[in-house]
Amino acid sequence: MTDDKDVLRDVWFGRIPTCFTLYQDEITEREAEPYYLLLPRISYLTLVTDKVKKHFQKVMRQEEVSEIWFEYEGTPLKWHYPIGLLFDLHASNTALPWSITVHFKNFPEKDLLHCHSKDVIEAHFMACIKEADALKHKSQVINEMQKKDHKQLWMGLQNDKFEQFWAINRKLMEYPPEDSGFRYIPFRIYQATTERPFIQKLFRPIASGGQLHTLGDLLKDVCPSAITSEDGEQKTQVVIHGIEPMLETPIQWLSEHMSYPDNFLHISIIPRPTD
Amino acid sequence: VDILLKAVGDTPIMKTKKWAVERTRTVQGLVDFIKKFLKLMASEQLFIYVNQSFAPSPDQEVGTLYECFGSDGKLVLHYCKTQAWG
Repeated sequence: MTDDKDVLRDVWFGRIPTCFTLYQDEITEREAEPYYLLLPRISYLTLVTDKVKKHFQKVMRQEEVSEIWFEYEGTPLKWHYPIGLLFDLHASNTALPWSITVHFKNFPEKDLLHCHSKDVIEAHFMACIKEADALKHKSQVINEMQKKDHKQLWMGLQNDKFEQFWAINRKLMEYPPEDSGFRYIPFRIYQATTERPFIQKLFRPIASGGQLHTLGDLLKDVCPSAITSEDGEQKTQVVIHGIEPMLETPIQWLSEHMSYPDNFLHISIIPRPTD
Repeated sequence: VDILLKAVGDTPIMKTKKWAVERTRTVQGLVDFIKKFLKLMASEQLFIYVNQSFAPSPDQEVGTLYECFGSDGKLVLHYCKTQAWG
């Protein structure tokens, strides 16, 4: 029987083989070779692509280079969404490597946030953690931590240090002994096909009778179209970190073991492939 | 959704504090609105906080924040020209 801690490691070390290609309209002095990289599912595009930027800037004139941004099949990729979420939502069930197009011009202001420095990523990451703790513990745990603990969470993510990160994060995964779980579960449900950016609502992990709510219960409550079958067929897949967890899985367990480092469960609802 | 805006520190106070806002309005949209109302320059920074504990992402919808963090039929947001709660 796999230890629950192994799940934490599997989630942390998940990688997506990616091929970065420069957009054909970018002006270069020489031909730009594609750049291959294994992207960490749990990180953010602008945090792990310094080498990509350097690689393409080598073949471009200085004046042509402004803020880098990424796109997949015409869709600008939001750097402030975790990489694993972007892949699950836009490119699940497609052939690997994931082909991402790199741009340096015409930044799509309406679709993307700017990311002028690593500080912006850190601020966003910490804001997500704080929001998650507001839901889980009324912010009590995160507020009791010292500034250096907050910094350790960020450094752990930035430097890919599992132990360093979880030394602090485990405190965010605890709950008072008299409770059976968190106050509310931090989750976001994404569907590529809808207008809304994501669904986020209050959801308790424990029912009034004391039973553990499951992933299926969550979906039934906030996104029933994800699991109602038409003609008895399941038209959609519910994906977290590239896998389809069983709908009977307790949502408290999922929150503790399959959240991203920002402490949110980012869940993708995608069309089931027909073949 | 109903929101209540509270100034922090020596940030100018809005004459009208209570506003009804569409659910789909983003945090960035709200920031731009407050800046215009307070006659702040576009280059000046304005930070918004929920529950005096976190700053939501600019693209987050006010409706979602209200559902998750609203109380007594309104969402209380604190705004500040400097970073108050990190």
